[in-house]
Amino acid sequence: MQQYEWDFGSVLTYWPMLLQGLWGTVAISTLAILLGIVGGGLVAAMRMSRYRSLRILGTAYVEFYRNTPGIVHFFWVYYAPPVVANVNLGPLEAAVIALATQSSAFYAEVLRGGIQSIGNGQWEGATALGMSSKDALRRIIVPQAARRMVAPFVERSFEIIKTSSLASTLAYGELLYQGMQIASITYRPLETYTLLALIYFLLLYLLSSLAKFAEDRLQEV
Amino acid sequence: MGYQFDFSMVIKILPVLWRGVIVTLELWAACLAIGLILGFFIALMRVSPAAPLRFLGRAFVEIFRNIPALIQLIWFFYAFPILIGAQLTPFTAAVLGISLNTAAFSAEIYRSGIQSIERGQWEGAMAIGMSRVATFRRVILPQVFRRMLPAFTNRAVEVAKVTSLASVLSVHELMYQGRLLSSTYYRPLEILTTVGIVYLVMIYPMTWTSAALERRMRRKA
Repeated sequence: MQQYEWDFGSVLTYWPMLLQGLWGTVAISTLAILLGIVGGGLVAAMRMSRYRSLRILGTAYVEFYRNTPGIVHFFWVYYAPPVVANVNLGPLEAAVIALATQSSAFYAEVLRGGIQSIGNGQWEGATALGMSSKDALRRIIVPQAARRMVAPFVERSFEIIKTSSLASTLAYGELLYQGMQIASITYRPLETYTLLALIYFLLLYLLSSLAKFAEDRLQEV
Repeated sequence: MGYQFDFSMVIKILPVLWRGVIVTLELWAACLAIGLILGFFIALMRVSPAAPLRFLGRAFVEIFRNIPALIQLIWFFYAFPILIGAQLTPFTAAVLGISLNTAAFSAEIYRSGIQSIERGQWEGAMAIGMSRVATFRRVILPQVFRRMLPAFTNRAVEVAKVTSLASVLSVHELMYQGRLLSSTYYRPLEILTTVGIVYLVMIYPMTWTSAALERRMRRKA
């Protein structure tokens, strides 16, 4: 077998494309995380509501997203609306909607898990002091639950960043899509995809070190 | 307006989707089996007394956990063959990528399981004259497996979802068949919704089992 000649140089000449891709990845992940927190709050509220119908709806939402693959959501959001309602979504909108609805389901579970992990005694104590249940939630439960939610929240956010690579299947210009373009221009898939893997690794490793640092600080308080 | 949902389409595509389901199940079983076995050895490396082995195990886990699964699949299909000088079929590339990914995640499950067994168990077994290996095999492992069962079921759910990414490499699994059908008939709503429901039907029993196991475990504890 002939020795393969590595050549990262020809791939790296396309660095502006990679940078653009990195920006695309960061942009859709950030949007999906922000929208996901809002959506997750709503779904969690539904799941803990005193109305049965809302609880069922919230549970169905979460179970649907937990039990179907992300790629199905991406394709559904991108291809179904134009046919059904004549609504055309661009790859960016479709990817953000798919990611955000999915992350809403996962964040909802993080929020619910955190709130329900706080013992009943805390609620009773607050009520005994004459606090309304809204006050108790805001002043007693949430501050305690928030600390416990940090780790699973970070973990879910990492999953979102990784899942954002699926947007490449809708031809949205995030990292993977840009990489695919570079691979076909340069005929250097080995170098391109190795570099891509490295970029993702560094990005996520850096973020996880930061998150760990923040978590440790939070636990000390 | 007034889109007509075409139920006859759903019936028409079921036989083709069924062929996809078979491939999805094959992929799932192969990746889960290889991943769980390999993951065990990686976990052994991670708890080994030898520092270089620990480092290698840790590197493997961090690499596969911090890079999106889709990138891993694409790397094994488009880049890896150049490195080894032999072409891989899409199915083999998918099995390689998903198995190694599964191995990294299950290694962490084994590791936390092994480390969750109290020191006293080791000391007790040693005190009655068992060797390190015998202690591990007869005392520690049986407890680890029981404790880790919900986590493994969760992993099985994740692997089932990840197999859908193999559609990007044109492995003829469920998602691939769905994409093909929806572009052939131009009925993405019916077809992609059906694909989603088929996944739900396949995966939900596993999620349910995992939750039931967790509940039972909590009652026992």
